[in-house]
Amino acid sequence: MTFILVLCLGAFAGCDTEDSPVHVDWDKREELRLEPQREALTYAYLPQYSHTVSYQRHNKLVEYLRRTTGLPIRQVYPDTFDEHIHMVAQGKIDISFSNPMVYAKIAEQFGARAFARIVEPNGRAQFRGQIICRRDNKAITSLADCRGKSWIAVDPYSAGGYLFDLGVFLEHGLTREDFSEIAFAPGPGGKQEKVALAVFAGRYDIGSIREGTLDIVKDTIDVDQLRILAHTPWYPGWVYAARKGLPDKTIAKIRQALLDLDLAHPRDQEILDRAGFKAIIPSSDADYEPVRALMRTIGVEGDA
Amino acid sequence: MLSWRWPFGRLRFRSKLGWGMAAIVLVFGLLLGHLLTDMAAHSLLEQHHKLGETVARNLARRAAEPLLATDLLRLENMVDEVTARTENAEYAFVVDAAHQVLAHSFERGFPVELIAANMPEDNRSHRQLLRSQPGLIDDFAAPVLIEGDRIGWVRVGVSRGAVSKTYTRLWMVGLGLTLAAIAFGLVLVSLFARTVARRLARLRDCAEEIVKGNLDVVSSEDNRVNCWEIMDCQMGNCPAYGEKRLRCWYQAGTLCPQCGPGGYPDKLSSCRHCPVYRRCAGDELQELAEAFDVMAATLKDYLGQIQTARQDMARQRQLLRTILDVTPDLVSLQDVNLVYQAANKAFCKYFNLEEKDIVGRTDFDIFSEAQADQNYHEDKQILVTGEALSKEIAVAGERNRRWFHILKVPVYDRDRITGLLLTARDITVVKQYQEQLVHSQKMEDLGRLAGGIAHEINTPLGIILGYTQLLLEDFEEGTQSRTDLETIEKQARICRKLVADLLGFSRQSGFTRAEMELNDSIREVISLVEHTFSLNKVWIRSDFDANIPPIEADKERLKQVWMNLFNNAFDAIGEDGFIFVRTKLCAHRRRVVVTVADTGPGIGEDDLDKIFDPFFSTKPVGKGTGLGLSVTFGIIKDHGGRINALSPAPNEYMPSEMEEQIQIGAGTVFIIELPVVDDVLPEDECEEATRHVVRSEQSSA
Repeated sequence: MTFILVLCLGAFAGCDTEDSPVHVDWDKREELRLEPQREALTYAYLPQYSHTVSYQRHNKLVEYLRRTTGLPIRQVYPDTFDEHIHMVAQGKIDISFSNPMVYAKIAEQFGARAFARIVEPNGRAQFRGQIICRRDNKAITSLADCRGKSWIAVDPYSAGGYLFDLGVFLEHGLTREDFSEIAFAPGPGGKQEKVALAVFAGRYDIGSIREGTLDIVKDTIDVDQLRILAHTPWYPGWVYAARKGLPDKTIAKIRQALLDLDLAHPRDQEILDRAGFKAIIPSSDADYEPVRALMRTIGVEGDA
Repeated sequence: MLSWRWPFGRLRFRSKLGWGMAAIVLVFGLLLGHLLTDMAAHSLLEQHHKLGETVARNLARRAAEPLLATDLLRLENMVDEVTARTENAEYAFVVDAAHQVLAHSFERGFPVELIAANMPEDNRSHRQLLRSQPGLIDDFAAPVLIEGDRIGWVRVGVSRGAVSKTYTRLWMVGLGLTLAAIAFGLVLVSLFARTVARRLARLRDCAEEIVKGNLDVVSSEDNRVNCWEIMDCQMGNCPAYGEKRLRCWYQAGTLCPQCGPGGYPDKLSSCRHCPVYRRCAGDELQELAEAFDVMAATLKDYLGQIQTARQDMARQRQLLRTILDVTPDLVSLQDVNLVYQAANKAFCKYFNLEEKDIVGRTDFDIFSEAQADQNYHEDKQILVTGEALSKEIAVAGERNRRWFHILKVPVYDRDRITGLLLTARDITVVKQYQEQLVHSQKMEDLGRLAGGIAHEINTPLGIILGYTQLLLEDFEEGTQSRTDLETIEKQARICRKLVADLLGFSRQSGFTRAEMELNDSIREVISLVEHTFSLNKVWIRSDFDANIPPIEADKERLKQVWMNLFNNAFDAIGEDGFIFVRTKLCAHRRRVVVTVADTGPGIGEDDLDKIFDPFFSTKPVGKGTGLGLSVTFGIIKDHGGRINALSPAPNEYMPSEMEEQIQIGAGTVFIIELPVVDDVLPEDECEEATRHVVRSEQSSA
């Protein structure tokens, strides 16, 4: 009898009580209007990765710049390389962090000026691209084997993800026409990752990415299934450029703040680590002549 | 105060079982139904919540990129897609870090109160129940996070209406199924209760049969396969073969090779592996019924044994009782507290009590206080020491004294004394024989002494008498000297007669045996004294047995016996009386009995034992020497016979016709037995002689 009583109590005790609901008057409605964004300097990271990765890498840096320079700075996210270039052209991006190829273009066409460049985590102020294929693809053991194969690249304006690699193929006697297909990563952002994923999936025979991409996707795919077929030569690294017309004083503040980042400082170390830099060093437009030379070699002009 | 009893207790077991199980099924069915329905409802609601949370989190994850890019179109498409594809979704919207709604799914205006209705402070998802005009809505808020930074929120509202409808439908179905299950359960319970009750009723019926005394009951089910069928057994001498009442594992001595030794339940350890047990062992009720049958069979055996033992005990008890009651000894049994537990008939008769008046009582209730106190101390000492007590006691009765040999022994039960057994044997006769033996020995010694003295005196007495007779010749008659000499001669002759009697008593006189007629010797003596006695009106009556054969005896000495007896009778009667003489040949023709009875005053009890003593006489001084009966005793004894005296004389020894004017006293009768064939009396008793002797001894004891 006691058992039954306890069971009954337990059974009815199991009927929990729902939280008391909050009343919402469904009839009180308004047409919403977005508040206009405040005036601020715009900072854009060439969308070689997804916006999320861009946010993760540069959000701390943007906050640092905002805090250090006292300037209202916000990060904007162009979806494509082309949009990035056009936003620089339209003055929607005040500070552009881009690859040397894009810089060459915006400098050539829209008067952007380089004022700093980064040192890669490997300690070089240069970076390079990689040509990858599946490890189990026995048909491709050298660059010559890439003839007639399908190739996916990051973007027509991607340095390490296309142009550097195209230069390597040209050196080895392979032109664009020698490939059965040259495709570029679709959609906005995340294009380096998309190239690695496309090759991993076997959709394309080879892919071209900038060095460091495999570290980014190692948590997504098994990178051991990929094989690095070749590296491109080293070229000057990613560059900070100011749009045409941005006051020198502003540029100087930002430049100085970037140059002040010191890996030895704990606070700066987090910023640099998240951004994937080792340091930021001074730079000028002249540093990118080798890139312009390559562009001429492969037939990509600044206005291409 | 009236006591109230729960009516459930008066119900039949079947009803109790049925109602109890029905109640259990009902309660548990409802509880289970409720629980299952509740669990299902909770599960449904949980799925509803998980769906909402999943949709909100997915939307938050997908909204990160367009939120960063402020791609309002993509955000708008996302929220529209969510509301379109999510079942029961009422709305979805995205707010940035500044709580500005960037995109929403409402078609006309945004409910402004909705933003603040669910606005968590931390970066965790949160659910809030909303009540609004469409009804209850679960509002799921999921943060849009990048590396822990919250860049905005997405909110998804899912209506509860469909869940409530599903819950109601589920509840109804659950209730219906529960009621159906309960109904089905009740049917099963009823069948189960009926089955169990039927088997219990069979047990009860068997129990009632046992109470009535019928132990040949079979309470177990009989629709079964038997062990000899399973084992294909042909062992007809096995106790289990053909036995349909008891299973083989309940029986000892079964002959299967795998059967263990002994009986139930010891052999069960081996039976559990037997295919018969595996196949035939039933449930607990079946085991109970079979155990019941075993109990009944065992009980029957036990009762049979008990009945036999009881009959044996009754027989033994009756035999013991008979022995105890038949024995003339007084027998009693007392416990350690000296309370009488049993007493035989002799004991009860002696104390003139019923057995019920003795059993359960102590000596203090039966005897005098002094006797009881003496017994108590004796008995206690026996109980303490464990040593038996044997003693002879004389008990003075109203008329005479009786001797008893008392034996008290402790009764042991193993090593413990549990009682006291008393036996008391009447040894009065033995005592009398002992006294007679002592008396006879004394008589013999005395006779030898008297004989010696008489022999020595006889010679000088003869010389005195001789010389006296010589001197008489020298004196003339009439002289004083002759008169003196005649006096001396007379007294010497008296002395000589005395010496002759003494020699006769001591059997030192001559003893000549010859064949003689007993009756004739008695007639001769009667003829001698009859005339003399008649002068004093003392008459002799005789009754002789003509069948008495001649006997070997000294005729003259026997005549002296008869003379002595007649003279004693005459002296006792004095005047006016009878002397009755009778002879009788005993039935076995091995002895003759002569009785001489008189109508005198009789002999006193104290004197009766002394009449055969030498020199004992009840006559006045000078009237008798006291040697007559002693001599008679000696003569009879020399002939291997026996003489006894009874007084008062029993009537059958007296003549049937006597003159009425004669004064008849108590009378005395002398009974003489003489052997016919041998020199000694036969060992078997002569009824005619001993009947009254024994009676006389008893009465004089």
